[in-house]
Amino acid sequence: MDAINVEGVAKSYGAVQAVVQESLQVPAGQVVAVLGPNGAGKSTLIGMMLGLVAPDAGRVELLGKSPAEAAARGLVGAMIQQGELVPNLTVREVVGFVGGLYPRPMPLDDVLELAGLTELARRRTGRLSGGQAQRVRFAMAVAGAPDVLVLDEPTAALDVEARRIFWSAIRRYAEGGRTVLFATHHLEEADENADRVVVISRGRIVADGTPAEIKRRAGGRTVRFRLGDQPAAGLEKLPQVTAVEVGGGFVTLHTGDPDTVVASLYSTGLTVRELEITTPALEDAFLSLTAGGPAC
Amino acid sequence: MLNYLRLELLQVLRDRYYLFFALALPVAFYLLWSSIFSSDRLDPVTGLPSSVDIMISMASYGALGATLMSTGVRLAAERRSGWLRQLRVTPLTPTTVIVVKTLAAMSLGLPAVVLVGLASVLWQGVRLDAPQWVAIIGLLWVGTLPFAALGTLIGSLAGPDAAQPITLGAYFGLAVAGGMWVPLSVLPQVIRDVATALPSTRFAELGRAVAAGHAPPVSAGLVLAAWTVALGVFAVAAYRRAW
Repeated sequence: MDAINVEGVAKSYGAVQAVVQESLQVPAGQVVAVLGPNGAGKSTLIGMMLGLVAPDAGRVELLGKSPAEAAARGLVGAMIQQGELVPNLTVREVVGFVGGLYPRPMPLDDVLELAGLTELARRRTGRLSGGQAQRVRFAMAVAGAPDVLVLDEPTAALDVEARRIFWSAIRRYAEGGRTVLFATHHLEEADENADRVVVISRGRIVADGTPAEIKRRAGGRTVRFRLGDQPAAGLEKLPQVTAVEVGGGFVTLHTGDPDTVVASLYSTGLTVRELEITTPALEDAFLSLTAGGPAC
Repeated sequence: MLNYLRLELLQVLRDRYYLFFALALPVAFYLLWSSIFSSDRLDPVTGLPSSVDIMISMASYGALGATLMSTGVRLAAERRSGWLRQLRVTPLTPTTVIVVKTLAAMSLGLPAVVLVGLASVLWQGVRLDAPQWVAIIGLLWVGTLPFAALGTLIGSLAGPDAAQPITLGAYFGLAVAGGMWVPLSVLPQVIRDVATALPSTRFAELGRAVAAGHAPPVSAGLVLAAWTVALGVFAVAAYRRAW
């Protein structure tokens, strides 16, 4: 049984199709990033997973149950977007309250420690910075020790250092075999923290695989070397080469298989100097996969 | 469920606006009006000395305000802020949420009733029997139910920016037309005609009757029950959509 099973869900707002007939299965224990630019449909998809948005078609199951039933049984924890905190309560009160709603919550002190809130436990929620409030929302999501954790843009208000701390907390949480699904438009977050990346663009899943596979799918590795005044003719006929660019005395060969290209390169009789093989950042892969979508 | 009730009460009891509108204002008004009107003057409608009549008015006024504000304004804010959505992914059910919110809103009117009563005893030397005090507090607790329904209706339909003025409008309108600010006997006949059908008038009437040593009139209970059912049906429907 999958931790998250999304089958053919679709959702439109008026004429805008936020999510177009998508399916997604997440086995228990996986850490999945849903990656896409703003407006791609990530929040709608997550809203449907949590039962906050009713799909026009299709169905969602969390651990074999409807989202509402899974929530009622305390199997789900979530950080949703635009989650302002209720005023006039202390951090400890609000996190302790949410944890207390679940059948088997984590000890409150452990939750506060995990979220880096031990020092802030007595602070009123209205007097927190954006990043601190975000940590409280994370603490509320994990306080009940849910098996499935869903996070919508969890690091939106965090600076670089806070992000690092946040992801190490998520990894600690996931180590217990729990399922984590998070939405992000930060590519390096997906690359560094997920077992699996699902790229979504204009309401459709356009790629699904490990971070390495996503990069490969985008097709972009290059073999580059100094050509000098040697002729470039014939390079485009080498096996596995998809494109050739010449400029500034260098030639760049695009390929999905740099090993084959390099091996055949030495049989051409050319003098190969300053050889360089590059793998594009996930950023480039992402842009090529979501090309034509709204700006990031 | 008890933890949620505690959390709801804590949030409001720590709120400066609540403390001002629902506690300080009714007590201050009581001290002011009861000093202006001589205690010997009996109200022509209720037959109560003004120190008692104004005590019931201000206790009702405070309870009405606390109940309306803590449902209408807060529910709208919680819908906007995402707090209700956050609760939806927890094991808390929507029924528990609304039941607890209603109980909390009703109970948040009690401090005003107790404080205004205390002010009347200490400032004006008002003396009622213990069973009368108990009955007044009990009735002014149960009687807030239609206002909790009205607040829930407003909070489920209006955005947070609109909910504040709408709630305040309903609050002051009900208070004035219900004879809480000035005695009904000095209001124009038109308002007095409308007032008999208003829940706020009947709500205060519960307290006035007990203070005068009568049982509360059945008609008052019926009008309040009718408002509760009517507003409650719409409130539950609106809340379900908002949840």
